[in-house]
Amino acid sequence: MPWNDIIVDSLKKWDTSLVAYVPDISIDRVTTLIDEDPYFHLVSSSREEEAIGVAVGAYATGRNSAVFMQSSGFGNSINAIASLCIPARTPIPIFLNLRGGPGEFNIAQVPMGRATRPILDTLGLVHFTLEDEHNMEKIVDGALKLCHANRQPVAICMTQLLHGGKLA
Amino acid sequence: MLRFEATQMLLRHIGDLPIVSNLGPTTDELWHAGHRDRNFYTYGNMGLCSSIALGMALSTVEKVVSLDGDGSLLMNMGSIASIGREQPGNLVVVVWDNEQWAQTGHQSSHTAFGTDLEQVARSCSIPKTATVNNLEDLEAVFCDALEQEGPWFIVAKIEETEYMPVAPIEPEMTLYRFRQSFGASGV
Repeated sequence: MPWNDIIVDSLKKWDTSLVAYVPDISIDRVTTLIDEDPYFHLVSSSREEEAIGVAVGAYATGRNSAVFMQSSGFGNSINAIASLCIPARTPIPIFLNLRGGPGEFNIAQVPMGRATRPILDTLGLVHFTLEDEHNMEKIVDGALKLCHANRQPVAICMTQLLHGGKLA
Repeated sequence: MLRFEATQMLLRHIGDLPIVSNLGPTTDELWHAGHRDRNFYTYGNMGLCSSIALGMALSTVEKVVSLDGDGSLLMNMGSIASIGREQPGNLVVVVWDNEQWAQTGHQSSHTAFGTDLEQVARSCSIPKTATVNNLEDLEAVFCDALEQEGPWFIVAKIEETEYMPVAPIEPEMTLYRFRQSFGASGV
């Protein structure tokens, strides 16, 4: 199954029907599927920390939610994760397009892309990196299970090796 | 108009509807005015109060009230545009506008220099807006907001006064109680 279908299926399996995001061309193939599927409400946010707030609001009323963003946008959302998600214990899966790896062409994307996983480690958040579709269904499903069991965000880092998407 | 007496007045009308409160004195005074399971107090994440309320409004049919602040909204003005884009008819944003960052030393905020948050909301396609300067006007427009389709964006000009003690509340318990009140499990 293609990576974007795997993500959509996993979100449905975990009753995750609100997705907040900031658009990104490399993972547009998954957010477009979400946007076209009436099961989901895709909320377009002006900034990534806002997407975190919207996702937490949905979860607070009993609706599971997820966010999609680029690693640069993860930089914009760190305080929202640190001061809202972690103290309140909200299981929000964070699907990240991880920049700064093989194939990166933009010098400006390298520092935040390379710093993303160390920052997640510093915050004590679990993360997984996907470089191909091998075992991906188990990893994404398992990540969502862990996310809800631990009631903390989990980051799923999608690299260009996985999605092959245009870097822009 | 003082924020605490205004908060007490809102609670007299709101019944069991959910409230999200901005960090600092807004959260503390909401707790002192009347602790309830449906108060979603925030303690950090400055700027996200109305974003959280938007996520709630898109996930419940009940009216959702956001008690935001001018300094916080200035940090996340894009959230007003997102509310305008989504048009949640059940969202009521009340902005306590004291024209300053009071807790950090009473430095003037941009609303003291001509930024009009009601006009920002109107330009973001929010259909029901108001700016009020006293308790009676706030009460009238808030009661309309609870009855009529929104989204609503109400700027309430307030004066600062002495702060109340910090509310003895825990984020994890706040979320747990709030979710339980919607019938969701605590886990």
